[in-house]
Parts: sequence; structure tokens; C-alpha cells
Amino acid sequence: MVNLTIDGRPASVPEGTTIVLAAATAGIALTTNVGCMGQGVCGACRALVRRTGEPEVRTALACETPVEDGMQVSFLDRVAPRRPHAYSETDLVDGWTAYERVLAVFPEAVRCRHCSGCDRACPKGLEVQKGVNLAASGDIAGAAAVFDLCVMCNLCVAACPEHIAPNHLGLFARRLAAAGTQRPADLIRRLHEITSGAMTIDADACTDKQP
Amino acid sequence: MNPTEIPAAGIPWSEAIAALDGGSAPPPAITDAQPLLRHWHPDHSAGGPRRLAVGASAGQDCPAALADLLQADALIDDIDIAGCATVSTEVLVIGGGGAGCIAALTAAEAGAKVLLTTKLGLGDSNTVMAEGGIQCAVGAEDSLQTHFEDTLRGGQMAGDRALVAALVGDGPASVRWLIERGMTFDMEEGQGPSGRLRRKRAGGTRVPRILSFRDVTGLEMMRVLREAAGLHPRITVWNRSPVVELLSDETGGCVGAVIYSLHLHRFVLIRARSVVMATGGAGRLHLNGFPTSNHLGATADGLVLAYRMGARLREPDSFQYHPTGIAWPPALRGQLISEAARSLGATLVNGHGHRFVDELSPRDVVAAAILRECGEGRGVLRDGCVGVLLDTPALERARPGILKTTLVTLCHLAHKAGIDPAREPVPVYPTLHYQNGGIAIGTDGGTEVPGLYCAGEVSGGIHGRNRLMGNALLELVGFGRRAGAAAAAFQPVRPSGRANLGHVQEWRRALVAAGLPLDVKAPVLFPPIAGFDLAADRALGRSDLSARSLEAALQVL
Ligand SMILES: Cc1cc2nc3c(=O)[nH]c(=O)nc-3n(C[C@H](O)[C@H](O)[C@H](O)COP(=O)(O)OP(=O)(O)OC[C@H]3O[C@@H](n4cnc5c(N)ncnc54)[C@H](O)[C@@H]3O)c2cc1C
Ligand code: SF4
Ligand code: SF4
Ligand code: FES
Repeated sequence: MVNLTIDGRPASVPEGTTIVLAAATAGIALTTNVGCMGQGVCGACRALVRRTGEPEVRTALACETPVEDGMQVSFLDRVAPRRPHAYSETDLVDGWTAYERVLAVFPEAVRCRHCSGCDRACPKGLEVQKGVNLAASGDIAGAAAVFDLCVMCNLCVAACPEHIAPNHLGLFARRLAAAGTQRPADLIRRLHEITSGAMTIDADACTDKQP
Repeated sequence: MNPTEIPAAGIPWSEAIAALDGGSAPPPAITDAQPLLRHWHPDHSAGGPRRLAVGASAGQDCPAALADLLQADALIDDIDIAGCATVSTEVLVIGGGGAGCIAALTAAEAGAKVLLTTKLGLGDSNTVMAEGGIQCAVGAEDSLQTHFEDTLRGGQMAGDRALVAALVGDGPASVRWLIERGMTFDMEEGQGPSGRLRRKRAGGTRVPRILSFRDVTGLEMMRVLREAAGLHPRITVWNRSPVVELLSDETGGCVGAVIYSLHLHRFVLIRARSVVMATGGAGRLHLNGFPTSNHLGATADGLVLAYRMGARLREPDSFQYHPTGIAWPPALRGQLISEAARSLGATLVNGHGHRFVDELSPRDVVAAAILRECGEGRGVLRDGCVGVLLDTPALERARPGILKTTLVTLCHLAHKAGIDPAREPVPVYPTLHYQNGGIAIGTDGGTEVPGLYCAGEVSGGIHGRNRLMGNALLELVGFGRRAGAAAAAFQPVRPSGRANLGHVQEWRRALVAAGLPLDVKAPVLFPPIAGFDLAADRALGRSDLSARSLEAALQVL
């Protein structure tokens, strides 16, 4: 059995158990800090973890992290960015002004002090700081690529002393890149075939189970 | 077939590995899948379906565990909501997954004031977990008609033709809508953003039709939708606010809902002109004892609430057991290995190293075949967990590098299991994955209850008795938009009528008349593993909050 403390409560669970499942056995109601329950894609189970013999506190996704003896865990509630960094869909379409939009919506981005707090905080090991700097210097596609596997856990938001909200900046870059540049030729042709009436569906046609 | 009945006999792991030669002969062809399905598919479980005795679908069969909830009493009574704070909105959207966000965005873009209330956090849903992709007939050799027929046949001809035509016909416009909101799709190798979309093959389809973003399509979709909904000035989001009951007026129309705030430990009433139910599926009910791939909140709440109010159900007895949940280790059992692995050519082999089914047959057939192998002693045993093998090493040998570049999520899961998929096969076993049926809807997402719309996994009629990979994501976009638009346009007959639990009183009378117990309460909100107790949680509530500060407090979270 592995013994650990979660939100101040002792838990004793078999080896190989994840922190989230251990929390359930410790009597913590799983109503807040859990979503996908182990796939590691929703970011709800963000937690601070201290391991025995390690001075520093690290971040983790509790549904993906196996328990260790002597671990101390505390879950973090949803972290809301200080500023909403608001924009609308109309901000996404014009590639010529994309960089202006980035600077206007995320004015703090240029003030990154390269402290790497975000990099250390990211449980997915993304190069968050690099992504922020790429966006701030106008490389939207480059920034977008850095955040391809971001689960929006907001741990980098909590870590950033400049209130940059790195993941939201990264997502803005992703949305700009997609909405502004992705124009698939085959999709456009099919849309044309449908709107012109050349392609329709005969809903009564299919009567056989086998094609 | 019930998994608890499956003998824990099988071939030990080491023997099965030794039998694996990668060059296995093609599997036997299946001409008629019906006997296999009847004998081995869990929908035909020996434990027996239950016939519904009350409600709009009385006489229909469904799994006993679900029937208990559909025919249960409400969680609350008039006394619980007397004096509760009431908030008003035009459109109320219940559920913060893909369907809910899209309905909310569409209604808001049409000018409506929208309140979206969800059980966990916005986006914590089945949608974010989707891996494989979304179907859309864009290929030159493909057509809407082919997609239509594949979907209808995949569903064993049980789907509603008008709904299937709407689903398929919306496809290209749905994908465009997603791109316009900033979702990225993979392009064919070497093609820029104005080239051709990359297409993968799905089981039960004649041509490659799955569009995707790597193997994290749902993550890419959900983070865009969550951001868009969160930033929209006409959408208010309440997290941690599960709906516990709907509100009705004197004509039986739906005019709002009661939420329980997990933050404030109290009920709040929401009055709305119309309501969109988008609460997703039922995997966490672990029907027939199966593990599940679903997120924690998938407990059939919306199904129960809409049924209680008079909505009809379709195919409530039909569930999808995804063939390839991971079978070992126990802590991960049930988590999904996407069909993408099989689309790319990975084979399934039993403990003797033999292939036993065409891996790209419809999911119900593949799942039944796996249960047959395990039930007849040809499964593989590891630490008491039974399954068959997904031969990832052979795939890697045939297409070097494919695991790392294309099957990122599979590698990630295998890594957590302590398996190197390039060298070791991954043990798999069917996992409860998707609710094929659901609440009956029309092409505008409308139900039989005036003012109540449904979108996404909670609704039924599109997938018949078996859903094809990629059609669920397509459904939630197309029907999320349809339901959102119709809900925004809906005008009630008696706009200033009552909003209360009248339908619950009627329901109780029906339960009593049918001799059903009143001590079973539903919706369950959280599965037992979450350790949530409504009564205990309510005891933590504060009573000194004014209505105004309460509304403000709800918005922050
Ligand atoms: C692991 C996995 C992989 C998948 N892969 C694919 C794929 O590749 N392609 C595909 O097409 N489909 C796939 N699916 C299916 C697809 O993801 C779902 O069917 C679809 O996302 C459902 O969307 P939804 O919005 O209806 O429900 P969900 O996304 O599940 O959202 C429902 C929301 O409602 C909330 N809710 C529940 N009850 C209440 C309540 N009482 N009050 C308030 N809120 C409530 C939930 O917490 C959740 O946030 C996959 C599913 C899973 C689980
Ligand atoms: S970039 Fe930020 S939000 Fe994204 S996974 Fe890393 S820490 Fe979480
Ligand atoms: S935490 Fe903020 S300031 Fe520090 S490196 Fe990251 S983005 Fe820059
Ligand atoms: S519960 Fe979803 S990331 Fe951990």
C-alpha cells in the first residue's frame, strides 16, 4: 500500500492508483476536480504535488499521476485569468491584421520576463514560454503549433507573474491560424456542389442492408 | 452476455505473446452478423432488458439499470424550491459539452440571451475526449448519398431517414462553421491550408471520410468551443451547477430548470423561454457491469428529466460498446483506444495469435466477436483481466514511425500502462462507449414537449442501433446548431405562465398507479465513485445570500 495526503486527508491505496482515484477512497467528493477521469485531456484535475525528499512543489494532472509514498497533494480550483482577454469571431478572419489583434488583445505578451514559470507549470511539457514569445513577435503559426496539445488546465495562467494567460494567447493564435488561413479545396468544392443543387440526398433510395 | 458471466479462463499473457507472429492469416468472413450479435452483444444480455411501464415510451425495452432511473421519482419537491432564488433567461442550455456550447453560440448569435449551466466545468465532457475524428463527405469519390447510406446501414436500418439526411447534408457546412470558429483540421501530407483535407477510414464506411486533428480531435474542438462560448457577451456560463429537475407550465411545456449549485450548496430556479438539453450520454451507469470510456458526468440525467416531462425515447435499449477499451491494468480499464489504430491497419488477435474478425466491421460486430473469443476461452489473461490483443508491434513494423506520429493518444495511454506499444501488443476489451438511442427529436432538435429541444448524445434517432465512428461529433455540430436556432426562435403559447413542478406531481401519480416504488430517485448526477451525497452537501449551504450576490457568485465560477 502507498500512503499519501490529499487536501489534508490521509489516503492508503494500492500501488499504481492515480491520485484522483486515491482522492475518492480518501472520502473527497469528486465533483469539482475531475472530468475525463484519466485521459488527461480536460485539465480539471490540476493539482500541486510535493514528493518526499523534494523541496519544491510541482504541478500535475491528478488523473494521470500515479500515487507515491509520502506524496502531499492539493487540488487547485479553476483558475480564471485576471483579465478576460476578450475578442470575437470577427477578429479571427483577417490574416493581415492578425498580429495587431494579438498585441491588442494580449498587450501583456510583449512583457514576458522569461522566467520560465509557465514551462515549469505545464503538466504536458509544452514549451509555453517559447509559444508566448513567438506570438508576441508575430509568428502566429509557430505559436499555434507550440500549443497543439494544450489541455487548457490553466496552470500556466496561475504561474505567470505578468498575467499573460499563455494558454489563452496560444489558443487565440491557433484560432487565428485556422479561421484565417484554412480553406480546404475539397470542402469548398463540395459546399459549392450542395448550394448549387448539384448534389442532393435521396432519402428513400437505400432499402438494402448490404451495399 | 454479461461480463460477470464470462469465465475467467483464457490463455496466459506469456503464452499469448509467444503465439503472436504478426503474419496471421485473414480473419474468417462473416456473411450474417445477426447470430453473433444476438448471442454475444451486451444489448441482448441474459440479465434481460426491462419493459418500461410508465411514460411516453411505455412498452419499450431498455437495460434494467436505466429503466430504474427512467421510472424513478424526482430528487426534489415543491418544498425544496419554495423561496429559492429565481434567475431569468431567454434560452437555457443544459450541459457544457460540444452540443451545449454550439447550441448556446448559435442561439446567442441569433440574438438571444443565453444561460448555459453545466455539471462539472465547461468542456469537461465526452466531447473533449473524442480522438478519432468527425465524418464529412468531402472526398471526390464520396457523396452525401454514400454517407447517408453508410450511416443508415451502420445503424441496422433503424435510423430516422429525415434525421440522417439532415446530419449528412449539414456535414460540409458544419466543418466550415468549425473552421470559422478557429478549429484546425489535418491536411493531406505535403498540402498547405488550401489543399485537400486528410481523410481516414472508419469501420462500416465504404470510403475514407473521417476528418481529424491528429488523434485529439475532440480536444481541438472543445477548447475552441469553450473559449468561444466563454467569451460571447450574450452567454452566461454557470459551472458546477447540475440540473436536478425541469420546470413546467400549465400546458406541460418546458419553461426552465432547477439547478443545484455545488458551490453555494443550494437550489436555484432558472426561468427560460426555451430549453436545450445537451447532457450527453450514460457510460457512467456501467450498464451490464462493463467498464466505460466516458467522462465522470455521463449519467443519463437529461434522458431521465426529459422522459419524466413527457418526451419519447428511441432505441433506449441500444448501446455502443467500443471494441477496444484497454483491458489492463485495472486502474485504466475501460479507457479508449481509438478506432484510428484499426483504421491504420492494426489487427486484433486472440490468445492463439489468430485474427477472428474483420477489424473494420461495424463496432457492434467487432465488440461481439471479442466477447465471443473471451467467452469461449480464447481470450488473454493478465492479472485476472481478460481481453484480446491489439497488434501494435506489427503495425509499427509495417509502417515504421506511425505510432509516434499519428497515434499519440494511444502511445500516451500505453505509456501510463507501462506498455511499449512498438514492442508489446495492447490488451483490449469492449468498453461502454455511446448511447445509440435517446430522446426522440425532429429535424429542428424539438421534442414532444413544447419548448424543450435536444442535441448531441442525449438525443436519438440518428444512429439507429449502431453509431459509426465520427458521426457523433458531426451530430453535435449539426444538431447543436439546429437546436440552438430553433430554441432562439421559439415563442411559447403562454409566455407569462407558471413555472413549477406540476409534471412531477403527475409523474408520481403515474408511478403509483403502475405500482412502481417511489424510493428510487433520479437523476443520479454523479456515479457512486464520486462519493457525492446531495442531502449531506445541502447541509453545508449558507442561507444569508441575497438573490443578487447569489447571481454574481454563480457567474464567477
Ligand atoms: C473517449 C471517447 C472518444 C470518442 N471519440 C469519438 C470520435 O472520434 N468521433 C466521434 O464522432 N465521436 C466520438 N465519441 C463520442 C462523442 O465524443 C460524444 O458522443 C459527443 O461528444 C457527445 O457530445 P455532447 O455534447 O452531446 O455530450 P458531452 O460532450 O458529454 O457533454 C455533456 C455535458 O453535459 C454535462 N451534464 C451532464 N449532466 C448534467 C446535468 N444534470 N446538468 C448539467 N449538465 C450536465 C456533462 O457534464 C457534460 O459537460 C467519443 C466519446 C468518448 C467518450
Ligand atoms: S500550456 Fe498551460 S493550459 Fe496548456 S497544458 Fe500547459 S499549463 Fe496547461
Ligand atoms: S510565466 Fe509569463 S512571464 Fe514567465 S516566461 Fe512564462 S509567459 Fe513569460
Ligand atoms: S480528469 Fe481530465 S485531465 Fe484529469
